[in-house]
Amino acid sequence: MEPLHRLTIKKFHDGLVAKEFSALEVAQAYFDRIKEKDGEIGAYLSTAEASAAREAEAVDIAIAKDETVGPLAGVPIAVKDAILIKGQPATAASKILEHYEASYDAGAIRKLRNARAVFLGKTNMDEFAMGSSTENSAFKKTRNPHDLTRVPGGSSGGSAAAIAANLALGALGSDTGGSIREPASFCGVVGLKPTYGAVSRSGLIAMSSSLDQIGPFTKTAEDAAILFKAIAGRDPLDATSADADYRNIDHPVLNDIKRLTIGIPDEYFVPGTDPAVTKAVENAVEKLKSLGLSFKRISLPHTKYALSVYYIIMPAEVSSNLARFDGIRYGGTGKQHRKNLAEIYLSEKGLGFGPETKRRAILGTFVLSSGYYDAYYDKAQRVRTLIAEDFKRAFEQVDVILTPVAPTPAFKFGEKTHDPLSMYLSDIFTIPVNLAGLPALVMRATTTLAAGELPIGFQLIGKKWREADILGIGQFYEQL
Amino acid sequence: MATISKEELRHLAELARIKLDASEEDFLIKDLGSILGHFEELRALDTSAVPPMTGGTDLKNVFRDDTERENTNRGAGVEAFPEAENGFLKVPPVFEE
Repeated sequence: MEPLHRLTIKKFHDGLVAKEFSALEVAQAYFDRIKEKDGEIGAYLSTAEASAAREAEAVDIAIAKDETVGPLAGVPIAVKDAILIKGQPATAASKILEHYEASYDAGAIRKLRNARAVFLGKTNMDEFAMGSSTENSAFKKTRNPHDLTRVPGGSSGGSAAAIAANLALGALGSDTGGSIREPASFCGVVGLKPTYGAVSRSGLIAMSSSLDQIGPFTKTAEDAAILFKAIAGRDPLDATSADADYRNIDHPVLNDIKRLTIGIPDEYFVPGTDPAVTKAVENAVEKLKSLGLSFKRISLPHTKYALSVYYIIMPAEVSSNLARFDGIRYGGTGKQHRKNLAEIYLSEKGLGFGPETKRRAILGTFVLSSGYYDAYYDKAQRVRTLIAEDFKRAFEQVDVILTPVAPTPAFKFGEKTHDPLSMYLSDIFTIPVNLAGLPALVMRATTTLAAGELPIGFQLIGKKWREADILGIGQFYEQL
Repeated sequence: MATISKEELRHLAELARIKLDASEEDFLIKDLGSILGHFEELRALDTSAVPPMTGGTDLKNVFRDDTERENTNRGAGVEAFPEAENGFLKVPPVFEE
């Protein structure tokens, strides 16, 4: 069997159907490695060894009977703890959901189940996906596999670290303002934030419903295309989901890709960005030029307002989405001796929510409250239009936009926890993409790392529903 | 520059149904002050002629057929209630006597 660090979804499938190994053997190898290594990394909040073994065995039986199986059959997948898998815990790394067990499968999980994937367990994250370092988890720290003194990024830090440390072959995360892309960059893996509506949000514990999207983490862009294709598509349980044609997304044609023009926005190369990031991104641009792609400087003039717009719209949606966590439903502790409901809510939310969650819920309540609604929420929605229009205009001149992912590589634990604004700035290059509802792919800008060097990613932003462009470029880039 | 007073914060916390202790109040007043300060930059933009973007999707009028559907997972989650009776959740009174 191929050692786990060299395995990809593609290679796994080829080996599985050639009967070089069984799905159960590989699942077992991952659990062995989780037992050996995850004490140090902390990628998982819970594992599901028994059900994973059953899922893997079913695939092995199908193969023994010479049934044709799809590209994800038997593939060991880790899932962010905000995404529901029936019968497994789904805490969103919050104390208020500590005892909750999901009563149904999320839409993306249902599709993966039909594709016969194997679910290894649930990964750590910032509480309710609020954060950029996974330090806001109520339960544990996740360490960056490239440097254990540093954060893996967030909020989907557990999923990114699981891929980087070979604790899963593919993973799901969710991205509201950069929560797939920033950890992908920090951990040196591939991460895709799909077009808003490409993947069902049913069964994703909602943070900000107009921004949230589920997407894959993998080792290669080809694997990301395979995993994305499997989870994409309309789900009647999410009215904002839609079908798009992703048939050839894992088989790009070089001549189609060569015709694309890549825009480089001036506003994304700003003072305050770590020189190592700028250098890594320039390196990626040079490599892409060798594929024959052409480049053009562009402008996205309202970029600088994106952070403010995001920190108004997102908390507003958070404040209503978190109302459902009342300390009673979803495995509430049932401290029912209080005399009325309001008292239960006040005390259970007060105890069950962490500091960042409280901050955002209260900020959201403020920007929606009478007297402030027009100055903040309505204003932010209008500026959101301007940001989306910037991209629309840019995409009249170019097909894809290339930018850095985060202003720095992975930072140290505690470095930004004292000041919420400095943490929020980690997402300045990823937030505009969510506001405009676009797809974006993150890949490593440097393939080989010197000792002590940290991985740094670059971001390819595509037109709506054109994941094929960014994943296509990614698939040829990784062959260079 | 917008700031939030202690009274205002207590009112917001009450609306959000989140009980805060005294040290949390102090931190939040400071944090929210600097976050709201950052939002001031939006005032410089004239958006009177710009329509608000009210969601993430361009889809309009997503309909489904008005037909009988199979079970809608009704009752799922009851097992996660601390106290239930015949599929209903038991809670203390909503209004005081």
